[in-house]
Order: sequence, then structure tokens, then C-alpha cells
Amino acid sequence: MKYVASLGDQEVEIEINGEDEIIVDGEHYAIDFHSIAGQPIYSLLINGRSYEALVQPSDEGLEVLLQGQLFLICVDDERQRRLRQTSGPQLLERGEFHMKSPMPGLIISVNVREGQKVSKGDRLIILESMKMQNELKSPRDGIIRSLRIKSGDNVEQNQVLMTVG
Amino acid sequence: MFNKVLIANRGEIAVRIIRACRELGIIPVAVFSEADRESLHVRYADEAYYLGPAPSRESYLRGDKIVQIAKACEAGAIHPGYGFLAERDDFALQVEDADLIFIGPRPSAIAAMGDKAVARATVAAAGVPVVPGTEGEGDLTDEEIIAIAPQIGFPLLIKATAGGGGKGMREVQTIEELPVLLTAARREAEAAFGDGNVYLEKLLLDSRHIEFQILADEHGNVIHLGERECSLQRRHQKLLEESPSPFMDDDLRQIMGQVACKAAEAVDYLNAGTIEFLVDKDQKYYFLEMNTRLQVEHPVTEMVTGIDIVKEQIRIARGRKLRSTQDDIRLKGWAIECRINAEDPYNDFLPSTGMITQSILPTGPGIRVDTGIYAGFAISPFYDSLISKLICWGETRGEAILRMRRALEEYRILGVKTNIPFHQNIIASHRFMGGQFDTRFVEQRFSMNESGEGKEELERIAAIMATLVEHRQHQKSSQIFRKSERDTSNWKWLGRWEKMNR
Repeated sequence: MKYVASLGDQEVEIEINGEDEIIVDGEHYAIDFHSIAGQPIYSLLINGRSYEALVQPSDEGLEVLLQGQLFLICVDDERQRRLRQTSGPQLLERGEFHMKSPMPGLIISVNVREGQKVSKGDRLIILESMKMQNELKSPRDGIIRSLRIKSGDNVEQNQVLMTVG
Repeated sequence: MFNKVLIANRGEIAVRIIRACRELGIIPVAVFSEADRESLHVRYADEAYYLGPAPSRESYLRGDKIVQIAKACEAGAIHPGYGFLAERDDFALQVEDADLIFIGPRPSAIAAMGDKAVARATVAAAGVPVVPGTEGEGDLTDEEIIAIAPQIGFPLLIKATAGGGGKGMREVQTIEELPVLLTAARREAEAAFGDGNVYLEKLLLDSRHIEFQILADEHGNVIHLGERECSLQRRHQKLLEESPSPFMDDDLRQIMGQVACKAAEAVDYLNAGTIEFLVDKDQKYYFLEMNTRLQVEHPVTEMVTGIDIVKEQIRIARGRKLRSTQDDIRLKGWAIECRINAEDPYNDFLPSTGMITQSILPTGPGIRVDTGIYAGFAISPFYDSLISKLICWGETRGEAILRMRRALEEYRILGVKTNIPFHQNIIASHRFMGGQFDTRFVEQRFSMNESGEGKEELERIAAIMATLVEHRQHQKSSQIFRKSERDTSNWKWLGRWEKMNR
């Protein structure tokens, strides 16, 4: 599986295919990765070099404390990346917002109806894709102007699901 | 002579005192609050008695109860540690009145040094230089203070007469802002100490905080154990101490040491104490205050002198003569102490509470750890955030620094946030290594996560580890969400399987 780890404005592409090898920005590395004693502390052997770090989730990503330095890292897989791009910062605070499906999938449930008021962060739709259920949240406050899908529908990538205005 | 000592404290210092008692063959008695039943000091002591609810006001500050317990269990002496009742002359008096021995100075010396203005006047009269200010003026009104201020010169500091810990302290840059800051300082001092009296002191820039450890017995012997460098502070709280000081030379040590002994003699001092000085860049030194108790940072002195200060305290309290003369005292090598606090250095040093889930201590040559915590122990919000002291000794300052670096890297405390990363960054900073720092270094010239060598490589490793963790989460959750890999539901399949096996 391919991931993009971002740290500030830097990005690292990491591909994980098995337990003992990863590809980082195109380069292959032999790895051995263990979590220690049931704690959020991890030991990594990478090409023979040994590292240990505390890795804990935070609101903005994963916090990695390594050799006295704290790094905040966002990890996206391809699916999440597309999700992020759809609901990303490009949307406007005014005017109508067309929520598009970030990926092909199956609508599991629709939690709103036309004319309903919604707030930023409300769960609008659950979309199943790549065997994962993804919540699509309202990007801002508004009213559901039109609803173009119902639960059980199969949708294509970039298909307009609803309009929030 | 006593052979049982009640320790009126908790945490690492109570454990430290228990160790000294054990080695002297004295029976240690612990007292504890509701929050500390499972504390190490209770587990290590020979006897332990319940004091009261968790807040210190209802437990560790209950001098009356502590004296009562000491009498009931037939302890002959009380060791107050540091903080809590350690510098309360009324408590020391209460202990004496109950025919118990207070392991510390006489109540009169605590009182004289406890009132900062009286202390300054007393040592100044004995010929010890003090920071220029309103010493010997008694309690002053706002009008009097404003009239005197220009003679001292700006910038200056307003300090609380009863003060300590930076409370009631204000920096004043100009005469215009003096009245407002005076009111604020008095209000804070009143709230903290029940005494709104303040005095002025010239603010010395580019100065260092250097203190001398004193030992004094009943037989008129007063010696010093050299200095400790305590300039690395944040909001007047010490964070890292070392002995000797990189700014000190033998001549200055000898002179300041004598002055420190003289200051102690001025109040007829007994037992262990510390004289704090400010030293400016021209090596001019000024008396700041005297701490009439064991200090948090006493281990660095123990490491370089080889003297067990707590055992020495107990011997002195038993009426013995000091075992060393001034000539016997030699500083060997270098020692550094890092105070490990349950604080988040990445979030404005906010205190962190919770259960310690893992604690792996650094060990190996030249390492000492004084702590009261262990895995499974809960850090409560009731007491100080100091949870451990990591002390390293080396033949040279360089060796001590490198040893501290590896010890900090080995130390694992999980469950609460700690300031270990802060120490790692301080130790790695060029200014610290070069000894180029003063009391304002941490606040003005230091930041966490400065870019250094190998930072890019670390970032890459951090990114890889975060991704591997994310990947594991991913696999776990996709197993939860993954639909049946069979084409029919699991229930149907189970039914068929059961029929088949009937």
C-alpha cells in the first residue's frame, strides 16, 4: 500500500508491501518493526540501523518523539489523499458547495434530508470503498439544497452527491 | 540520641532521606497523604502513618499532626526535606517544644534568613556584599519605595520580603511603571505568603546564579562544599545544575566560599544550608539569599565531593562533629543534574498527570537517579511536578555532558509527558557546551527543535515510523470493516457448517 507522509511542507512517499521491506521515495529498505511491551513505543531496524520512538496520535496527525525531537506527521494513503483533496481548503465559505464522491464506492447511509440545516463537521454520508467505511462530513454550515443519492447507490469517483448552500 | 527519624515529606526526597537513615542504621518513618499510599517512600520505610487528604494543606503541611505522629511512634527527630515545612521557623519551634530534634538549623536562623530583607541586612552588616537595593530600611510604603528607586537605578526588581519561587516578583524598567507593578507585586505576595511587604533590588543583567553548600556543626565548625551552577532556570525555577561552575576559578571559589561561611556564621547557622549568589560578568558577586534546608540539587555536590550530605545532616543533628575540615574538601571531576518534571516542553511546559506506564532508568558508569516513581504509579495533580532527578558524573565537564546525553536517551518514562526532550536539547546546544549562558538563557535564547546536524535523517525516520504505525492501524481497522470474504453471510455459512457436521 502506498502512503504519503507529510511533515510541514515536506512529503515522503512510502510504499509498504510486506512485513520486512518498504520503498521510500523509490529506494528499497529492509525493515524490522516492533511495538514494545504493549506501549506506544516502537523499535525500528532499518538497513541495520536501530531507532526507537514514541508514536502517539494527536488531533493533527501522529506525534513522533525521536531522540528528543518531536515531529508531527500526517500520513495519508491514496484514498485519504483523495478525500482530503475533495474536502480540502479550496472550498468557499459562501455559495453552493457540491459534495463529490472522492472515490468510487457504495453509499452505506445518508444521514440528512433535503432542506435540513447542517453544521460544519456533521456526518452527512457514509461511503464504503476499498473495504473501508468513510465518513463524509459537511465542510461548513448550510442547508442541504439537493440530495442526489440514497443509501445502497453505487457511485463513481467525482460524482456529485449533494449540494450544500 | 535518636535512632528513629520521621520524614515529613514525600516523593524522591523522602526516598533519599530513607536511604541515608538505612545506611546509618536509623529507623525511617514515613508519613503519607491519601494520594500517596502506594508511594515509594511509604513502601521503603520501616513504619508509615496516614496524615490526611491529598491536598498538602491537609496533609504534608499539618505540622501539628506530624509532631503528634512522631511522638506517638517514638521517633526522636524529624527531617523536613525541602519545600512543605522545611523553612517554617514556627514548625521547627513546635518540634523543639515537643522535645524532638529538628534536622536542620535553629528556628532563629530560619526566621532570620526567611525574611529576605532581614537576611540582606544581617549579612551586609557582616561584610557580605548584597545586590544594591533597599536593604536595612525595614518595611517601606509605596511613596518611600518610589522615592528610593532612582538612587538604586533601573532596571530593578520588586521582591517579596517573605518571598520565594518567583512569587511577588516584578521587573521594573522605568519609574513610570513602578506604582502599578508595586501594587501587583504586593497583591501576589499577600496571596502567596500572607505578607504584602516588598523591597527593591537592582536587576543585574548577564548574571549567573551560583550557590555554595554549607555544613555547620554544634561545635563551631563551618565549612563549604564548593559551588553549584544553577543559572539554567525557567521562570525562576531551576532546571539543570552542575558542580563545579564553568565560570569559577580556584581563587574566586576560595573567596566566595569564605564569604558564604561568614554569612552562615552571621545567623549562628547549624546543619546544611545554601548561600545563593548572583555573579556578574566581571566576577563581582552579591549575596542573594540563604536556603535553610537541604536543596533539590544537593546530589551534584555529593558526586564531586564524595560527601553524603543527608547523612552529614543526621550526624550533625546527633551532636557529632563534622568529619571533614575545609582542607579535606576537594572537588573531583564534574557532576550535572537534570530535573525531570512531568511537564510538556512542547506545550508551554504544561504539567502532565496520569499513570506511569513504563519507567526504564538509565544506569551504567557514573549515573545516579533519585526518584519516587515507578511503572503503575499515578502522578496526581496535588504536588510538585518534579518526578525524578538524573545526575551524571564525569572526570571532566565534557565527559559529564556526553554521559548525560546518553543517559537522557536511555531514560524511558511513559504515561505522562516529561521535560526529558528539553534537557536533550539544552545539552546539545552549543552555548551550553561552551558554558556560555546566564540566568536568562532558557527564556531568551533557547528554543526547542533547533535545526541541527542529522535532523533531516531523523525527520525521514520519524516519517517512516509514523507511516508504519498508520499502516498497522489501517490493517486492524480494515479487518474490522472488511466484508466477509465468502460470498454468503457468516451466519448462513455457520448454519451450513453446523448442519454439515451434525
